[in-house]
Amino acid sequence: MSERRHDLEARFDRILTEHGAAISRLAFGYETVASVREELVQDIALAVWQALAHFRGECSERTFVYRIAHNRGLSHVWKRRPAYQPLDEIEESDQPIDPRPHPEEQATRTDRRMQLMSAIQSLPVGHRQMIVLMLEGLSHAQMAEVLGITENNVAVRLNRARNMLKDALRERA
Amino acid sequence: MIEDRELDAWREQWNSVARPSSDFPRKVQQKIKHHHRRFVFGNIFSVIAFIGILIFAVYMRHQGTWMGPGWAIGICVLVLVAAGCRVWALRQTWRPETQSTRGFVELWYKRVEARIRLLRISTYLSMGWLIFCAALMAVNWSIIGQDFRAHPKSWLALLVVCVLMQPVLLLYGVGWLRRRKLAELNEVKQILDEMND
Repeated sequence: MSERRHDLEARFDRILTEHGAAISRLAFGYETVASVREELVQDIALAVWQALAHFRGECSERTFVYRIAHNRGLSHVWKRRPAYQPLDEIEESDQPIDPRPHPEEQATRTDRRMQLMSAIQSLPVGHRQMIVLMLEGLSHAQMAEVLGITENNVAVRLNRARNMLKDALRERA
Repeated sequence: MIEDRELDAWREQWNSVARPSSDFPRKVQQKIKHHHRRFVFGNIFSVIAFIGILIFAVYMRHQGTWMGPGWAIGICVLVLVAAGCRVWALRQTWRPETQSTRGFVELWYKRVEARIRLLRISTYLSMGWLIFCAALMAVNWSIIGQDFRAHPKSWLALLVVCVLMQPVLLLYGVGWLRRRKLAELNEVKQILDEMND
């Protein structure tokens, strides 16, 4: 029993190492306030831990994690309405990953990133999921597996979501 | 391979968004421990509460007063009916988060519907219970009336709690919960419609 738990813990640690950053990004699609988002990320990790013992490899580990993250995110959106906030209310407490050489360039990049985040947040939940999965680099087949819809449906909805994102970005530019 | 500069730019911005904080694994472990403790204590509390209700029912049964058996049967019936209704209303609505988003949302919808149904049933049940108690009192008024005249204050207090508080609870408590659940149902329906669109 303890050996099984040890295996499970090792597997969970590996999942957190491999997908921790992706979970964090996915949470960004559902929550803009940094402190609350951190809670959401921990909730997703907890949900992964709870489900891990029953995971029999029916889908890839990545799909498994993304499904849980999106489903937890959806519940979170319901519990914490309004679902999105305007740009000036977004907390940007996370440090950027790469060190930027010039302050001006750094400011421009941060501004663009915040615009993108704000635009994503303004989309309806369904479209937001499509965009987030697209940005995570999932193929149409993988997206279909995560969302439970057909690949054709993915293509149509993704196209629509992308156009909406462009419009939202244009409004913010 | 088709070049998609716009998507590449978005991905670059997206990937520089956020990383979990350095103490993320520690916080997750804390959360898991906290969750586990809550699960264990929740179960212990439920078992203690159930045993407590049974002990109370047995105690009332052996009180020797004319109301004792009624209390005991009433408590047992109420607990069983409440548990049965809950299980019946929420059947097939357990929602594992490992399924696809569509499956999850469909079950979520069913679950909210079941909760609304449960609220409706509990409203009818509590009104039925009130009518049943009133009928029981009317039938046994010859005995209850004597007790009522002997201890009017305690009977009035009991009536205020049982009769007057119930409409307040129904109107505000259940009403508020029902409105909340209906709003949730609408929201879930919107998500489902978006998916079916």
